[in-house]
Amino acid sequence: MVVDVVLIPLLVGAACALPIGSLARPLAVLSGLLTAGSVAAAVWLGVGAEPLGLYYWAAPLGAQLAVGWDGWSAALLMLGGVLFAAGAAASGGVARPRAYFALWSLLQMAVAGVFVSRDLLLFFAAYEALLVPLALLLWGWGGADRRAATARLAVMWLTGSALLLTGILALWVGAHTFSFAALGSYRLAETSQVLLALLFLAGFAMRLPLFPFHAWLARAYVSAPAPVAVVLAGVISKTAVYAVARICLPFFPRGMADLSPYLLALAAVGALYGAILATRQCDTRAVITYASLAELNLIAVGVFLATPGGLVGALVASVSHGLVVAILVLLTAALARRTGSFGFGSGGLGARAPVLMGSFVLAILGLIGVPGTSGAPGQLSILAAAFAVSPGIGLLASLVPVVIAVCGVGVLRAVFFGPPAPRGWDLGWRERGLVIVLIALVVLVGVVPRSVGDLADRTGPALTELRR
Amino acid sequence: MSAAELGAMLPALALAGSAVLATVLAIPRRTGPRILAWLGALVAATVAGLALANGTGGGSPSIARDGASVFFIALIAMVTAVSCVLAAADPRRIARSKDETGLALFAACGAVIVVSAADLVVLFVGLALLAIPAYVLTGRAALAGDERVVRHFLLGATSSAVALYGIALLYAATGETGYLGLGRATHNPLYLAGLGLTLAGLLSHIASAPGHRWSIVTNIAVAGALLRLVAATATGEVGLDWQVALASVAAAALALSGVASIAERRVRRLAGYATIAQLGFVATAAASAALPAAAFALVTYSAVALGLFAGLAILPQREPVLDDLAGLARRRPLAVLALTLLVLGLVGVPPTAGFLAKVYVLEAAVRAQLLWLVVLGTLASVASTAAYARLVLACFAAPRLDAVAPSRMRVGTAVALVIAIAVVAAGLAPGALLDAAQTVRF
Repeated sequence: MVVDVVLIPLLVGAACALPIGSLARPLAVLSGLLTAGSVAAAVWLGVGAEPLGLYYWAAPLGAQLAVGWDGWSAALLMLGGVLFAAGAAASGGVARPRAYFALWSLLQMAVAGVFVSRDLLLFFAAYEALLVPLALLLWGWGGADRRAATARLAVMWLTGSALLLTGILALWVGAHTFSFAALGSYRLAETSQVLLALLFLAGFAMRLPLFPFHAWLARAYVSAPAPVAVVLAGVISKTAVYAVARICLPFFPRGMADLSPYLLALAAVGALYGAILATRQCDTRAVITYASLAELNLIAVGVFLATPGGLVGALVASVSHGLVVAILVLLTAALARRTGSFGFGSGGLGARAPVLMGSFVLAILGLIGVPGTSGAPGQLSILAAAFAVSPGIGLLASLVPVVIAVCGVGVLRAVFFGPPAPRGWDLGWRERGLVIVLIALVVLVGVVPRSVGDLADRTGPALTELRR
Repeated sequence: MSAAELGAMLPALALAGSAVLATVLAIPRRTGPRILAWLGALVAATVAGLALANGTGGGSPSIARDGASVFFIALIAMVTAVSCVLAAADPRRIARSKDETGLALFAACGAVIVVSAADLVVLFVGLALLAIPAYVLTGRAALAGDERVVRHFLLGATSSAVALYGIALLYAATGETGYLGLGRATHNPLYLAGLGLTLAGLLSHIASAPGHRWSIVTNIAVAGALLRLVAATATGEVGLDWQVALASVAAAALALSGVASIAERRVRRLAGYATIAQLGFVATAAASAALPAAAFALVTYSAVALGLFAGLAILPQREPVLDDLAGLARRRPLAVLALTLLVLGLVGVPPTAGFLAKVYVLEAAVRAQLLWLVVLGTLASVASTAAYARLVLACFAAPRLDAVAPSRMRVGTAVALVIAIAVVAAGLAPGALLDAAQTVRF
């Protein structure tokens, strides 16, 4: 029931080797929806959560092809399925479609592999392998700055995963197992935990990106093609959030507790820093980039707190950020088709394109975290948890939504208000359908946050007893 | 010569006999180079099969016939066979390479002797038999026909001379040439100097080999001889601690190749640096006393290097640079697919065998408490990943207007593709290769 999230994209990717031409895009959309649906069904029926060891892969090290899901991975798998479907739907008319969708499906497969792995080496394999299709997509289909962007992203991520691999092997030499279940009950000495947590975090912080490891972020988000930016910001960044929550916290609880003041400070400062930078941008993609940096670091605050509230908040905020950022990226691409650039234009587009404006407003509200949208419950939960642990961190973190609001409202004013624009047209039916589905999900998560929050609780007991 | 010794010598004798035969057959004007190369491939493949079928046991004090020698002989013979197939299909040198098969078989014979030598004199005979044809082959093929060939050849001769000097010192210190005697007098400075010189002479054969398919055999042979020498001296009556020496060699190889490859634009040199980095990983495994990991890494490296040279053989240039790869993705998509997979294997991206090789080697190094080497190795591999990724990305660039069309070398592309798929398959299901690597024992 869980293997299919890896197998379906693999089949679609293999099908792209055949001369299927225009069929590739519908197939890619379908594979995203099918994976999201099958995970939803698995959660509903409660099957497949138990780790299933398929076969011993790297035998002398005891690495298994073991797959399974928990609450965190189920939520992020569903998010990933939806976003990959949306991204595929939005990539009509790309050059060299078969190569594009083959890489796209491989990327989807690797991302799903990160979430379903129940074996540390398999996790690393998927985590590292997803860089290859991502870098090729950026390199081959990106904007003007794509080469420098790809090089910087690849070098930074590879440096991170080099240290992560060192950490994984060091952990194996101590524990002699890669299985998540066995590692969860294996306890290292406290100093080793700190050292290993640092090695692991090096891999995850680069990818999150935790402040100050975000040097690749702006270039990559800006020069990526819109669909790739959707999944990069929406779900690939969440692989790092997931990894911190699912690997660092349960395997090195004491080490993470020792490190948490520093990590929290970095994340809180980074969140505020990103939000402030976002107010100073005059390119819509750059605004989204820095707002994402702020949101992701806020999510990191929630994870590093490692309290139940912080973790539930981080999961809900992850899902919310994924959906909201997907809408925003798709809408800025639509906007750029109308104004001819990613700048703010001369304003007044609201009169010409009311639906575009309406969806943009809703997405910005979701980004700010206005109650009723998905942004609210996660953010509030993280902030409450932060205040409970440290008022200073809480204060810093609670400034973030305020600054994001300033920046988001500023963008809305500059783009949509003012004297009516001379030209411009509203969203077409295809664009509209895609955005409306995503907005519906944003509202759904906002109104019924338990739909995601309850999933976090499934992983809860294991994570809350950590600090003993 | 007893039957056991004859059995141990059989692969070397078969190769030497067919080398002589190939050289004689090349004399008549009518024999073409292509048929000779195919015959050479057949002989080498047969030797590989025989070596595997005969198994271990027997041997003599001067020629070992254990798991390691069988493994390395089979590997050398297979690489030689594939290289001969590539030589037969290579359109560039086909007109004047009638002596190539003979030289390749002589080199393979020398390599076989080197990896199974259990005596310093035998080691040197093998080294000389390996080095001279190998230097002629690589020098002629990989370097332009100018003084660089001479310089290259002199460098090789110097390496052999250094090794010989080391062997002489070892003999002076122990009074014996057999590996069994080497473990006895460890604290003699003469002994240590001899061992160091022998090691340096062996290793500089790797360092001076330019990137070419014929240099793979040299590298396997040197790595095999090195592992045997380490094993012989580490398990003697007074064991030597090789860890520091080998770890320094590994660190130097990894760091230098990582740094040097970043700015390199010549394709063959780039592959040459990849060779050095891979052998750095083998040395890391040796420093951690992990023979199976070293063997696994060596097989992976040989396959990837062979595949790379097979795929790159479609470039008509004598000294291709990265810009010559431009437009290849459109013109030769299959070759580029193979190159992509092979580069992924080279830099150790999952799910290729290169990733598992890296994991096994580094795991052994962590276990041997060489964490600094692991961090250095992984970071150096980041640098080399950036360097080798250019090899793939260059293929996707728009071709220049004056670009020479790549040759249509179907066999080369097919070999590269088969090896690439095998590298991925071995990364997903490494069982058979792991079992083979476990048989490497001295």
